[in-house]
Amino acid sequence: MEAIAFYVFAVLITALFLVTVFSKNALYAMSSLAAGMVLISGIFFVLGADFLGAVQLVVYSGAVMALYAFGMMFFDATKDVKEKNPSAKTIFLLSGASAVILVVIFSAPQIGRNIKALVTGTPGADNPHVIGEVLFTKYLIPFEVAAVMLLVAMIAGIILAGKKMDVSLSESEDDLVDEASELKEQK
Amino acid sequence: MDGYIIGTIIKAILVLAIISALAGFGTYIERKILAFMQRRLGPTHVGPYGLLQIAADGIKLFTKEDFIPQGANRIIFMVAPIITAATAFIALAAVPLFPEFEIFGIKVQPIVSDLNIGLLFVIAMMGLGLYGPLLAGMAQDNKWGLIGSARTAIQFLSYEVVTGLSLLAPVMMVGSLSLIDFNNYQAGGIGNWIVWSQPVAFILFLISGFAETNRTPFDLLEHEAEIISGYATEYSGMRWGMFFIGEYTNMITIGFLASLVFLGGFNPMGFIPGGIAIILKVSFLFFLMLWVRASWPHVRPDQLMWLCWKVLMPIAVINILITGIVLMV
Amino acid sequence: MIENFKDRNVGVQHYRFLKLEPTPTTKMGKFKRFLRRTFKLELFVGLKVTFREMIKALFFGEMHTVKYPLEKLPISPRFRAIHQMLRLLESGHYRCIGCGLCEKICISDCIRMDTRYDENQRKEVVEYTINFGRCIFCGYCAEVCPELAIVHGQRYEVATEQRASYALFEDMLTPIDQLKNQKEYPGFGAPSPNADENIKKTPLAY
Repeated sequence: MEAIAFYVFAVLITALFLVTVFSKNALYAMSSLAAGMVLISGIFFVLGADFLGAVQLVVYSGAVMALYAFGMMFFDATKDVKEKNPSAKTIFLLSGASAVILVVIFSAPQIGRNIKALVTGTPGADNPHVIGEVLFTKYLIPFEVAAVMLLVAMIAGIILAGKKMDVSLSESEDDLVDEASELKEQK
Repeated sequence: MDGYIIGTIIKAILVLAIISALAGFGTYIERKILAFMQRRLGPTHVGPYGLLQIAADGIKLFTKEDFIPQGANRIIFMVAPIITAATAFIALAAVPLFPEFEIFGIKVQPIVSDLNIGLLFVIAMMGLGLYGPLLAGMAQDNKWGLIGSARTAIQFLSYEVVTGLSLLAPVMMVGSLSLIDFNNYQAGGIGNWIVWSQPVAFILFLISGFAETNRTPFDLLEHEAEIISGYATEYSGMRWGMFFIGEYTNMITIGFLASLVFLGGFNPMGFIPGGIAIILKVSFLFFLMLWVRASWPHVRPDQLMWLCWKVLMPIAVINILITGIVLMV
Repeated sequence: MIENFKDRNVGVQHYRFLKLEPTPTTKMGKFKRFLRRTFKLELFVGLKVTFREMIKALFFGEMHTVKYPLEKLPISPRFRAIHQMLRLLESGHYRCIGCGLCEKICISDCIRMDTRYDENQRKEVVEYTINFGRCIFCGYCAEVCPELAIVHGQRYEVATEQRASYALFEDMLTPIDQLKNQKEYPGFGAPSPNADENIKKTPLAY
């Protein structure tokens, strides 16, 4: 049962991500990427990691893809994208090599058969509890560091976006905006 | 195991049939209530009290030409409404609708799939519902549609944060993500409802629920006066209908979620048995959504973002902080 | 309400000026307004109003809807719809004396009448038609008629396949069996209710 579900999900995910890579249409690429993200959460559910599955849905399929989609608004989604690749060989070699390296990294312990759960949660506790325990005991420092990194990214984003926040771009003319920024620089 | 699978399939079909019929009925109720609030009659001519208007609308939608614009991206255009309807029903799968009951000697739990992370799953699935309007707007080669889907993206990014943070405080109190645990936590009568200990979270959740279901104060994506019909501009027939089945199903889901998390769920209320109590609560929340639609104007997109990010999110964070301090002490 | 509608008294409705507070200019003022609006629960006033209207409509019979083909609003007596020819109440004979004034005054030239003397040496209307393709419903014919024979009725639903179906004398004349229902029409062309008071003697001697 689980094996069937896994293979179905695996084939579908691979096919969808292939569409993402090979499609020339930005809209197809985005929607197949989103669908693939949803199906990855299916694999989490098959493994019994309900919490991670739902988080995958919320974070990757929901928030991250919504941001991509917001970026897509500035393209004409119905037109095909023209690719510019001056040397196809370099791209082929580089991407192929990195793919091979990734596969080797991830499949080496698989072949060695020495995968072990580093942390075994409290027996009998359900999924979110176990994750909570692991995150706040063994992986507390990486967790907090990640949180601080996100905070830094957020502050940087606000500063980058907020440079001309007190000037209304829609109401004033371009040179007025320029004047305002010049005034700020002088200060 | 076999019995479990068959039972689940039966439950899924029942939920699908009943809720989609209720979604159709919801359009009738909405038209009637909006009409009464404006002192009009609403639909009256088809059937008694206009009840068969739903059937008439259904026939109209099914027989209408299924129109796909020339410049549109055909596949995505055709898939988008299905995403909306499907995610709305999948979200309902993890919601316990009624208390346990016995039929033909079999104990039935009226929940399609009892996940131990039910709440998170429902929120995630309703969040995925954004792809319907988003892809529809981008695929249809129409400027109004594109504006509608841009508004979908900003609305999603705004309200989803508030939804999550507002639900976090009750989750901390109950200590579980399962909706059945939420229900059992409030088993001791009206005094035990979470809404009394978390009124701020309840109001925040209602506000973001309105945003989630595109109801009136936040119906930016399809506001007729501004962007024709937003993401649904080029849709006709049953594809258009599916968006609305999805929207009304989402309204019902939000109603169930709010009553399960904050309003005591399906615990019996005094002399009222639990099953009827939850129907009353959901009906009241549904009525509230229509009532608000009849009363309040809608906000601009920038006002929505301002509200969600600058007002509601800080309030939600402070609420979580206070809840945490109280729980620790 | 219907009386207001009839009289068309648009000037005396009870409009009120709302006392609006001035928009605050300072940041503190804006913040105070924000607080006031939040905690005075102004939004709920809106909810209250719509709920009150619903209760009124459902339980106190104050529904605004007029189910048009089944119910009709009364129209103003000054309204000029399709013409009606009236009969004398006593004898049932039509009132028209064949003077021809309406034919003369008609500015769009749409009334045609043909008369002759009958055996009593009385004018008899042989033929009387109004061409409704040309009629501009100015009301002069009703105004000029000395016998109140032609008036503008209240029949405003005149969608038809052929305009000719209204145009003949017989079509416009009150049916003889409906005579007892014929009312002295207060509408266009009729003397005003206070006509007697307005009559002054013609000064004969200067």
